[in-house]
Amino acid sequence: MSEIDRTDERWFQRAVFYEVSVRSFFDANGDGTGDLQGLIEKLDYLSWLGVDCLWLLPFYSSPLRDGGYDISDFFTILPEYGKLGDAVRLMEEAHRRGIRIIADLVVNHTSDQHPWFQESRQSTDNPRADWYVWSDEDKKYSEARIIFTDTERSNWAWDSNRQQYYWHRFFSHQPDLNYDNTEVQEAMLGILRFWLNLGMDGFRLDAVPYLFEREGTNCENLPETHAFLKRMRKEVDAGYPGRVLLAEANQWPSDVVDYFGDSDECHMCFNFPLMPRMFMALRRAQRHPITEILAQTPDVPEGCQWGIFLRNHDELTLEMVTDEERDYMWNEYAKDPRMKLNIGIRRRLAPLVENDRRVMELFHAMLFSLPGSPILYYGDEIGMGDNIFLGDRDGVRTPMQWSPDRNAGFSRADFAQLYSAPLMDPVYGYQALNVEGELRDPSSLLHWLQRMLQVRKRHPLFGIGSFEVLTAENPSVLAYVREWEGDVVLCVNNLSRFAQPVELSLQRFEGRTPIELLGRVPFPRIGELPYLLTLGAYGFYWFQIVETPLQ
Amino acid sequence: MISPTALAPSLAEYLPRQRWFGAKDRTIELVRVRSIEVLAGDGSWPALLRVDAEVSLAGADDARYQVLLGLRPTGVACEFLAGHEPAVLGEFDTAQGQALVYDALLDAELSLALLRVIAPERSAERVRPLGAEQSNTSLVYDDAMILKVFRRLTEGHNPEVEVIETLAKVGFTSVPEPLASWRKDGIDLAFLQRFLAGASDGWNIALTSLRELFAEYTIGAAPPPGDALGAGAATPFEATDPADARGDFAAEAERIGEVTAEMHQALARGFGTHKVSGDDYAKAMEEQVEHVLGPGDAAMVDGARRIISRLREISEPGPAIRVHGDYHLAQVLRTDGGWFVLDFEGEPARPLEERTRPSSPLKDVAGMLRSFSYAAAVALSYQEDDLSSLGKAWESRNRECFMAGYLRKAAEAEPILPTDPAVRSAVLAAFELDKALYEMAYERANRPDWARIPLGAVQRLTSEAARAI
Repeated sequence: MSEIDRTDERWFQRAVFYEVSVRSFFDANGDGTGDLQGLIEKLDYLSWLGVDCLWLLPFYSSPLRDGGYDISDFFTILPEYGKLGDAVRLMEEAHRRGIRIIADLVVNHTSDQHPWFQESRQSTDNPRADWYVWSDEDKKYSEARIIFTDTERSNWAWDSNRQQYYWHRFFSHQPDLNYDNTEVQEAMLGILRFWLNLGMDGFRLDAVPYLFEREGTNCENLPETHAFLKRMRKEVDAGYPGRVLLAEANQWPSDVVDYFGDSDECHMCFNFPLMPRMFMALRRAQRHPITEILAQTPDVPEGCQWGIFLRNHDELTLEMVTDEERDYMWNEYAKDPRMKLNIGIRRRLAPLVENDRRVMELFHAMLFSLPGSPILYYGDEIGMGDNIFLGDRDGVRTPMQWSPDRNAGFSRADFAQLYSAPLMDPVYGYQALNVEGELRDPSSLLHWLQRMLQVRKRHPLFGIGSFEVLTAENPSVLAYVREWEGDVVLCVNNLSRFAQPVELSLQRFEGRTPIELLGRVPFPRIGELPYLLTLGAYGFYWFQIVETPLQ
Repeated sequence: MISPTALAPSLAEYLPRQRWFGAKDRTIELVRVRSIEVLAGDGSWPALLRVDAEVSLAGADDARYQVLLGLRPTGVACEFLAGHEPAVLGEFDTAQGQALVYDALLDAELSLALLRVIAPERSAERVRPLGAEQSNTSLVYDDAMILKVFRRLTEGHNPEVEVIETLAKVGFTSVPEPLASWRKDGIDLAFLQRFLAGASDGWNIALTSLRELFAEYTIGAAPPPGDALGAGAATPFEATDPADARGDFAAEAERIGEVTAEMHQALARGFGTHKVSGDDYAKAMEEQVEHVLGPGDAAMVDGARRIISRLREISEPGPAIRVHGDYHLAQVLRTDGGWFVLDFEGEPARPLEERTRPSSPLKDVAGMLRSFSYAAAVALSYQEDDLSSLGKAWESRNRECFMAGYLRKAAEAEPILPTDPAVRSAVLAAFELDKALYEMAYERANRPDWARIPLGAVQRLTSEAARAI
């Protein structure tokens, strides 16, 4: 009954991903928290939108001290979300609609509530004593940086029971697994097999650069880590063709490509530096912040793909920009200190661009046409806002706004029972902004986005085509050509809030005709001279370059 | 193939029509064809000729021009000439029959043939002309190479070729890589370099920045007057400081400063340094004051003299080096690999000897500082409101950042600047004044409305000098 094609092993190169928090999407049983059954009920909506693959934030049993990234049992579902059977049904129902599902999997660490850790901390000689990284002193691996600088002062934490320190790269309640222990490696591969057997289409591997520790290094991107990922890939390829491994490695592009290996590690990696650069380019009305990072981004190996995004559940990542640029972005987007989190910024797309519909369209047009598979964040398709007064990263995880009804149509529970209040402010509140309203309004952002995704699907070049930036004297204009098997699309973007002219050298297409892709409008034939275009404020064009049709 | 005697009179009519012909205001007395060389199409069409012509001018020195001519049989349509009628010489008898003769650089086929002559090891599929310039014409091949064809020929090395080849040799990577040079009898005819695809020049980026800054005022989201929305309503942010505005250019200005210092260090390595005194610069500067400022400008003349006499007293204004000579925002290109410097020909109107004469690196610095002032003024000229205080704020912020980047980098290697900051400022002020006066003379002759831009700078510098005493 499955409608997905398991023999298509490269589907992810052309797919549109949609990141969704089960908790926030739809509450089917009326207990105030979203659940798997709720997600199943909204699959038709996602299918209509044009989503090819869902990325689920962690749904495993967890004490929820880090949004579910602190897993206490990899084999069971968080009770509020449902049961294992619900997860299986979700996969079946999604597959029936041609939608694949990948799940977040935290491989680096577990919750301190996980039975493995509870057992490990009992003594130094129990069967799981070596499953975590223990030490008598807290001085080892001193060159490893501290990632959550707001809350953690050391990568070591004291366990009074075992009278030893344990290693944690993230929160102190998330002890790192000891991958030098082959039993740990086997256990993790067993978890992968368990979910793949149930029909899972792959994993977004959380925090992959930190699996191993070695003295004298920063304990990131170590060869041992790559070796284990290769082993994992081999396992997947052998038993489960057509599934995908997506690595979260928040590093410079030149380091990130290592996670593709020779096409024998992860199928996909996030392109983290691109997104902050897009915001900077907007701020400066200048393309160079974007083209600069693209020029530094190596080509992906055969059969691999970047994952690109405008926003996701984490902060706008500034780790990878230079100090000067980080100050610049901070200054711009985080005038309110509450908007700062660690060294990033937690805001949704719409508030980040001052709710400018034109910028939201421009940014999505770029997201859908730059090299990589686009990953949408739930709610951004209607331009949802955020709640900066909520702690941690919860500000961008408020309930999906389905309708102007009670609780935003998200849940029939009492308001007080909701895991989080829906937004109610005058600009982004659910009464002003919701899926029902957007569906009823033919000129809404949602309809526009849906149409763009339909157009994108017709041209595989957006996923797998070549990419070439064109010369334009006007620094506010970013123009590039995507090309694949004779299909050619020219994308022209105006990063300025003012109308802009641009002359493009399209000589190599002389005699051909650009056809605007949304309306199929033919533009003047390309001649010998530079091609003159004018763009409205934040305007963009997608042109298919075709042989000139008969007049 | 074509008779020199037939060609010469046509050239006399043809040359003054060309943008790159430098002596439009002079009458041509005689054109002498020194040589005609067949570069392509000997015995077939189209043909490519290189003509070396000596032009005698009334009341001026002779000038030597290189003309590249294309020949195609008459009656064959030449679409590429549409709209370029001034570039057509006319019809001539040749050994192969009647031919239409025109500027070959408009003919893509011949431009590709020219590349094969100059750099046989390079190949290209397409060529396009890049905007015509005062002394040369540029062709871009496949968006990968740029060929500068020199129109006016000068004895000795062309400064552009000489400087870029030297800079590349001493390891300065912020110039477009030289690929081939075309020389005959010690004269540079054309220069092939890597083309910086995807780049945009500093002038355009600076104007983008200013436009964004001005818009904070003109279309900034100001709240309604009073407390129209009641207590607690958020007030939209309104930027007044360029540092808080969109499109800030300061980081770029700082990086341009760094590249400028690296360029000067490389020029010092490549061409050596010369010991000079302030007095060596002062004489020409004083002449310019006399020439530009009149009896009605007594206050400015007085201030200018103070600046120059201060320079005269400086015995060690730092070494003189080979400089860029015509340095401004349009001469620097932002690429994805940082800023690049272009065009080392110097001010084309000045004689070669003057263009290649060693000078203070602060001369280039002054040129760039003046360019920030011009950018602000030009951007202001598009505005309806008087935003000149914002323009000034932009200029001073970017001056400061440019200088910060320049001085930091300049301090890293062999000294190319006077070590005493007071001396440095005095030398810089003198070069800034000199540049602004030069601009005044130029604007009065060519764009009188614009003369107020350098005038503002001269007033500022001279009144500062008067106050300082």
